[in-house]
Amino acid sequence: MKKLKASMRSDLTLTILVFFTIAILVFLAITLGPKVYNGRNFQSMAFQISEFAVLAFGMGLAMLLGGIDLSIVANANLSGIMCAFVLSNAAIVASLGDGATIAIAVIVALVVGTVGGLFNGFLIAKCSVHPIVATLGTMTLYNGISTASTGGNGVSGFPKAFTNLGVATVSGVPVLFIIFMVLAIIVIFVMTYTGFGKKIYMIGENHTAARFSAINNEKCIMIIYAMAGFLAGVSGIMISARVNSSKVGYGDTYQLQAILVAVLAGISPSGGKGKMAGILLALACTQILQSAFTVWQFTPYSKKLIWGVMLLAMLFVNKIIDYLDTQKQKQLLDLQLAQDAE
Amino acid sequence: MEKNVLVATNISKSYVGVRALDKVSVTIKEGEVKCLAGENGCGKSTFVKLMSGVELADKGEGTIVLNGREIDKSKHNVISAINEGIQVIYQDLSLFDNMTVAENIALNKMIKEKRKLTNKKEVYEIAKAALEQIGVEMDLDAIIQEISIANRQIVAICRALALDAKLLFMDEPTTALTKKEIERLLDIVRALKAKGIAVVFISHKLDEVMSVADSITVFRDGKLVKNMEKDEFDVKKLVYYMTGREVEYSHYERKNTSDAPVLELKNMTKTGQYNNINLSVRAGDIVGLTGLLGSGRTELALSVFGLNPIEKGEICLNGKPVKIGSPVDAVRNGIALLPEERATQGLLLNKDMTDNVSVAILKQMTNAVGILNKKKRYDLANQMIKRFRVRIPNADTLIKTLSGGNQQKVVLGKWVASEPKLFILDSPTVGVDIGSKSEIYEQIQALAAEGMAVIIISDEVEEICANCNRVTVMFQGNIVKEFDEADMKGEDAQDKITEAIHSLTKSKAGKESETV
Amino acid sequence: MSKMKDSKKKFTFTTEKFLILIIVLYCIVVTCVNPGFFSAATLFDMIKSSAGSMVVAMGLLLVIITGGIDVSFTAVAISSGYIATTIMMNTGINNIFFGFAIAIIIGIVLGLINAVLIHVTKMEPFIITLATQSIFHGCLTTFVGTKNIGSVDIPTAITKFGGARLFTMTDEYGNKTGLSIYILIVIAVVALTWWIMYKTMLGRSVFALGCSAESARRAGFNSWKTHLFVYAYIGMLGAIYGMLSIGGVNACNPVSMVGTELTIIAAVIIGGAKVTGGSGSILGTLLGVFIMYLFNQTLVFLGFSSSWNNLFLGVVLIVSIVITSYQERRKNRRLFIFTE
Repeated sequence: MKKLKASMRSDLTLTILVFFTIAILVFLAITLGPKVYNGRNFQSMAFQISEFAVLAFGMGLAMLLGGIDLSIVANANLSGIMCAFVLSNAAIVASLGDGATIAIAVIVALVVGTVGGLFNGFLIAKCSVHPIVATLGTMTLYNGISTASTGGNGVSGFPKAFTNLGVATVSGVPVLFIIFMVLAIIVIFVMTYTGFGKKIYMIGENHTAARFSAINNEKCIMIIYAMAGFLAGVSGIMISARVNSSKVGYGDTYQLQAILVAVLAGISPSGGKGKMAGILLALACTQILQSAFTVWQFTPYSKKLIWGVMLLAMLFVNKIIDYLDTQKQKQLLDLQLAQDAE
Repeated sequence: MEKNVLVATNISKSYVGVRALDKVSVTIKEGEVKCLAGENGCGKSTFVKLMSGVELADKGEGTIVLNGREIDKSKHNVISAINEGIQVIYQDLSLFDNMTVAENIALNKMIKEKRKLTNKKEVYEIAKAALEQIGVEMDLDAIIQEISIANRQIVAICRALALDAKLLFMDEPTTALTKKEIERLLDIVRALKAKGIAVVFISHKLDEVMSVADSITVFRDGKLVKNMEKDEFDVKKLVYYMTGREVEYSHYERKNTSDAPVLELKNMTKTGQYNNINLSVRAGDIVGLTGLLGSGRTELALSVFGLNPIEKGEICLNGKPVKIGSPVDAVRNGIALLPEERATQGLLLNKDMTDNVSVAILKQMTNAVGILNKKKRYDLANQMIKRFRVRIPNADTLIKTLSGGNQQKVVLGKWVASEPKLFILDSPTVGVDIGSKSEIYEQIQALAAEGMAVIIISDEVEEICANCNRVTVMFQGNIVKEFDEADMKGEDAQDKITEAIHSLTKSKAGKESETV
Repeated sequence: MSKMKDSKKKFTFTTEKFLILIIVLYCIVVTCVNPGFFSAATLFDMIKSSAGSMVVAMGLLLVIITGGIDVSFTAVAISSGYIATTIMMNTGINNIFFGFAIAIIIGIVLGLINAVLIHVTKMEPFIITLATQSIFHGCLTTFVGTKNIGSVDIPTAITKFGGARLFTMTDEYGNKTGLSIYILIVIAVVALTWWIMYKTMLGRSVFALGCSAESARRAGFNSWKTHLFVYAYIGMLGAIYGMLSIGGVNACNPVSMVGTELTIIAAVIIGGAKVTGGSGSILGTLLGVFIMYLFNQTLVFLGFSSSWNNLFLGVVLIVSIVITSYQERRKNRRLFIFTE
């Protein structure tokens, strides 16, 4: 119990998030009850959320470094489109069969996504381009490649086996959701328990001190953005499978939401702070609200308003927590100075 | 009758982590050239910040009287200081790099006059008038970024003159200047004095200080220890007051018998930083690397640590030439560097003790697949807390809640954990309280006794004398003097080193004074 | 004497020169492929369609020079434009100046909200304005309405304003083209921005704040005032942008515009403004926006569909930022500033 209390205090943001999520869950249970809490709704939520959730994790990774990845949705669409080109190519399908085609398409999408992310990392780590500017540039570029190669039209006509993936379930749980959970657990594990994850927190906290402590900043940054790119690639595949087509401009609203979810999860936009596991909670929280909004028949625009207010409110909450923290630390320090003086 | 421009009485200032200034009283007369002397972190820069209104003095006792009027200490700010004619030329000069010379000179005056508009003609007039006051010509359209440091300094001075400065603080103005440029600057200072402007010089370079100052005020550990008038000037006395000798540290003697060098630097050269440096350090050596700011010592250390690419020359470790392209290479080769800037380069202030001591050796804290061993990290942290006697509640405590001395111990712990063969410490006791200081010395000496090769870079001659068995003095990128073990055992080692640090500038200043 | 100095001056590779080079080369290539490109009609068309972006880019330039950024200006633009149009319709005051006045007031208020949030919380302007973008646009669409105002309903003053031309000419095929009065607004805003940037202390404080916030404080500049000004200014220009684009398409769709902000920011960055603050030029910004529209409108002459627009823009953007950032990195490394 004492331990729990201590850990709650040490991560106030996460604690607030936990309570906030529980409060929302209870509130919705009372007001809406089975309208939200039913098996079918949970299943449809699981279908909808996977592609976005993967992106949110990518965004969270970039923000842990004190950066941001504006190109993540563009990268996902580009990967999806490249994947779609392979899948809809009748010649490949005819000569290799469904299984091999899908395998190639998936590999292509993952490679495209990872290379796209790696290029972000290269610009940021090796050329010292500001993350906002670098990913703004690649966002434009990736969207450009996508539009140029498709003429802005959707690419569709996939083998049945692939689109089945988008609707398949294992004892009620969508396959896409399982893929997401596996990736999420890997990312959370890597960032929480490995030396590499630790390094990322260090760089996000103070990149100069990290460099002076023999951390290879540039390599770490490239890897993180490549990871974000890989996740974008996965998301691209998920979108293609679920929607049965790939198109530029799909999921435009994901950008803002991914940042919102990361901030909500307590990941500081200036880097080095926050837990990746918080993203799971933040996702649960926003998704359940999302379906409550649907029950209440909110327009997409009102939803946007609410997201914006939540983002701002969360920034303020974090700011206040930081302020209280500093106050407490000042006291501790004065105590130590007094001891030193003795 | 002489008027006082500034009379500060019993002024104190505390920061988070340090008591920077403790009941200091200073008086500055019209047309006086005063020097504030003291080692890094002695409180002289803090004093300037308080007077110029950049920071507020502590509440409670203490008064500031400017131009004969007492001011409200709690409301003193940059604007009110400027209105009273106080101007500061910071070490970084605080110029706007992307703007022109003329604008940089004129802007502050126009702000003071609460102007809404600017026009080129007027900006030029203000700039020209200021430059004429000190008799210097300069291209008014040049962008600050593209002119030399010496000229930037002059721009900063002119900016102050344009504001009708009555009192001009100059923080380490000569650091980045060549000998000739320094002379030009000192001439300008004399010209200002003739106009009745009080100039307060903050400098490490004692000879310069003495050639131009009317009085010297010495600070140490946040306290004012001595006021000297021109007729009392004496290098030895000054050094004595600056360093203070009431604390005696145990002197280090090398016990190790192996003469094979751990580190050898051969003909290391980097244009504009250091020139043809040869240096060797054996196991158990503590080599003191000293010299004034801008002597190239930190640049050299950064090169050895892989953060400053070498142009020419070779680094040999244990007799083998190595290529060190990054700190990762350096640590792999057994080199550690305790950096000059503790808060920004040395520590992760928002992380806890465990993170900070394990950051450089995360590889050793993980298993084969890279998973961190929590117990190992805590054990390491607790071991270092014990070894360095860090006063900290537990290993989960954030580093920013520690005092300067304890913070520095954490940095030491971080590098000791990596078990380096060569440990470079750049200014290890800046901003560290006296108690922690001697503890840190003990630790450094113990490490060397165990066979580590150590280089200490420091301004403090006393620190060097106490800890080092050999000393190398640098000046403007060159090694100018080396003291071996026998030299260091001599009674007058400290004076000789002080002399060596200042000798070159001194002989030159002496010559100048003859010609004047 | 001064002449000698000038001749000695080294040729420096500035962003402006790079952009002019690209524009010239591009125009040469396009003219070779398709001589029909060089016509007054193309130019006039481009001026009209780029006018709004040029105007708001001036505001963005000032914000970026202070070291900030604003991604909410499209939401400000459509909110103020839509509300102004609605008020014009409801009150029956069919006067374009009235519409502009309303829009500008709303724009300034929204800009001030941004300024207060950014200055008080001291958090990344990008994230703050991302949040306010959603809030502004969310408020508009939730509380004011999402109904598209078509060309039939829109006040005639706006229609007239959108179609007004300084002069009209008829080409050999009998098509009428002309220079829209939008160019007057662009010229006025550019002139105003230039005047503020170089002739007022406020403008100097914008540069000073971006150069070094600490130096600016020491010099006695008030960063609070500067922040209020730049965000209010981009709010105002955002409102004008909104009115121009409503007039341009002769319709007002409250769900349009938002989502295009990053493209305009990209154009300003192509123009050489540094997101870390302290530098940026009006000419560069105008060239950046110009290039964007040049690609947008003339790629067809090269046989590319307009969908290639982003690809070209992305390449130019990345090349120009890599050049400037890499130079900066090398300079910083020499000063032992280890930026990633």
